[in-house]
Amino acid sequence: MYDRHILICAGTGCISSGAVEVKDALIEELGKHGLEDKVRIIMSGCHGFCEKGPIFIVYPDDVFYCGVQQEDVAEIVEEYLIKGNKVERLLYKDPVSEEIVVSHDEIMFYSKQMRLALRNCGVIDPENLDEYIIRGGYIGLKKALQMEPMAVVNEVKTSGLRGRGGAGFPTGMKWQFANSSAGSKKYIVCNADEGDPGAFMDRSLLEGDPHAVLEGMMIAGRAIGADEGYIYVRSEYPLAIKRLRTAIGQAENYGLLGENILGLGFNFKIKIKEGAGAFVCGEETALLASIEGKRGVPRHRPPFPAVEGLWGKPTCINNVETLANVPLILRNGAEKFASVGTEGSKGTKVFALTGKVNNTGLVEVPMGVTIREVVFDIGGGIRFGKKFKAAQIGGPSGGCIPEEHLDLPIDFDSLTAAGAMMGSGGLVVVDEETCMVDMARYFLNFTKNESCGQCIPCRLGTSQMYNILEDITEGRGKPEDLKLLEELAWAVKKGSMCGLGQTAPNPILTTLRYFRHEYEAHVNERRCPSLVCKPLLQYLIDQEKCIGCQRCTKECPVEAISGEKKEPHVIDQDKCTKCGACYDVCPKKVRAVQVVSEGLPQTEEHLPCEEGCKCQS
Amino acid sequence: MEHFIDHCCEKCFNSKERPCDVFIECCLEGPLCHESESCKNAREAIVNKYSHSPMFREH
Repeated sequence: MYDRHILICAGTGCISSGAVEVKDALIEELGKHGLEDKVRIIMSGCHGFCEKGPIFIVYPDDVFYCGVQQEDVAEIVEEYLIKGNKVERLLYKDPVSEEIVVSHDEIMFYSKQMRLALRNCGVIDPENLDEYIIRGGYIGLKKALQMEPMAVVNEVKTSGLRGRGGAGFPTGMKWQFANSSAGSKKYIVCNADEGDPGAFMDRSLLEGDPHAVLEGMMIAGRAIGADEGYIYVRSEYPLAIKRLRTAIGQAENYGLLGENILGLGFNFKIKIKEGAGAFVCGEETALLASIEGKRGVPRHRPPFPAVEGLWGKPTCINNVETLANVPLILRNGAEKFASVGTEGSKGTKVFALTGKVNNTGLVEVPMGVTIREVVFDIGGGIRFGKKFKAAQIGGPSGGCIPEEHLDLPIDFDSLTAAGAMMGSGGLVVVDEETCMVDMARYFLNFTKNESCGQCIPCRLGTSQMYNILEDITEGRGKPEDLKLLEELAWAVKKGSMCGLGQTAPNPILTTLRYFRHEYEAHVNERRCPSLVCKPLLQYLIDQEKCIGCQRCTKECPVEAISGEKKEPHVIDQDKCTKCGACYDVCPKKVRAVQVVSEGLPQTEEHLPCEEGCKCQS
Repeated sequence: MEHFIDHCCEKCFNSKERPCDVFIECCLEGPLCHESESCKNAREAIVNKYSHSPMFREH
């Protein structure tokens, strides 16, 4: 029996930070000290706190070391494992209180979370089926196989589970449609085409707990009468694919996948289809087309996939996180699952928390917690003491929620009412230094490029909206552009064929709704209040502060700065390309180079209407 | 018995060709089809080997 178990995070993030090298160093050090039989090393799935990786937890003591590198391993073994002295410099330090926290349960990032979908991530070795079984794995499947298919559907309906991939459609209802569709051949498809930039909850689930997804698919198969499933996963997720293949092989070997599963007469097989990277293939009909070997573009619905899906057969498509919740519902009962969350949104949601917060990573919270709790408690507040400005929720097609809605509960309906959406769970926090117009432009650039081009509102609408935003951020915006932008956004939202176009305008609509003053500053005063939009900025040298060190003159790539040594310098605004090199090299103690956005001179075409004009521009 | 899929003794018949319908329960509470202290211990040894903390089995 082992004295200690050491969990080293082997998620993609920690592996890229050196987790494998840490493991190799640990094996070597344990060998040197004859501890190889006393200490077990577990390469676990993602712990979620990726920015602190590689994460290294020692059990049963629950000592949480972070940022461990291979050169730290000898000290951990000698000082901690042998002598019992914790290596303080590798322990977590709270960014707010600056206190050292030993146990991972006491770290705010974890203590406010409720990990249901992620229950096994960072806890088990994802390549060990025995560990999954010890943690209650496949009990849900066994129960489902002893129930009638409609009873399984009703259990999921009672749980209140809604799709975690974006739209939040009730999962049980989707299963019911597929169950009642005629036909002896049906399919289950797991949508693992996680395309939102910054979102990685599906990848972490597949890497950290692949059997939960397989079990969820099999339960879904039992519910609708399917005997075959596909996992459509991004080819950019090689580790997830590897672990899925391993898990499928193990489940087949254990008789948990294949023919006559558990001797109960249920057959189910699972295949993996690697996606080629198109964002639109996350849309369910485009995804099905891609599996069939066709160009991945959406089609009109109805018929919905539940009636006519993969190869024309009834198909149920569920997201990774949705499926990972299913075994829990069957195992522990619908009521227990429904006891978490709000009236209309049950269970938990995993978010990829990122941006200007102290703690970034993957977090799972009960539905109904407020944005404030996620940003300030779990996220540890805004970096460098700056001010919170907004939370972009739902990925590039989500919306920006401003400070006045910090106490908004995070659930499907509240977010939709506020103009955002749950989406797949991207949560980007921005501070006072972020320009909301520029942010809308950034996201529109993504959706414009990812539009499949099939329907006109999306193809042309996203391009036109992007052009207007580009004009505004580059100082060519006109007051009437705001009205046009809003009209266009609604037209694209209402007229697009699929979810990509229908949601692409959300960043524009929410920033216009909550940050209209920033748009107005850009178009009326040709000023960027957040000092982000380069064409609207000016670099100036404070004549009283400048010491004439000439660093900026040497660094300026266009020779726009002149001045004698030890004399104040001047920037020629006609030559300046606003690259910021002068600002970067100006000594911090001097800070003579300043960035301002005080409003560029108006050309005639940019002049706002005179007071009282009724053109509403 | 290194893994749950391994037979604890000749009385265990679970295989792909003849799957046992209580296999999952048997992993944690077994053996269920016969009485044997050593077969029970073999299963417990697997559970204990992987249970790195008290919360591991609280799921």
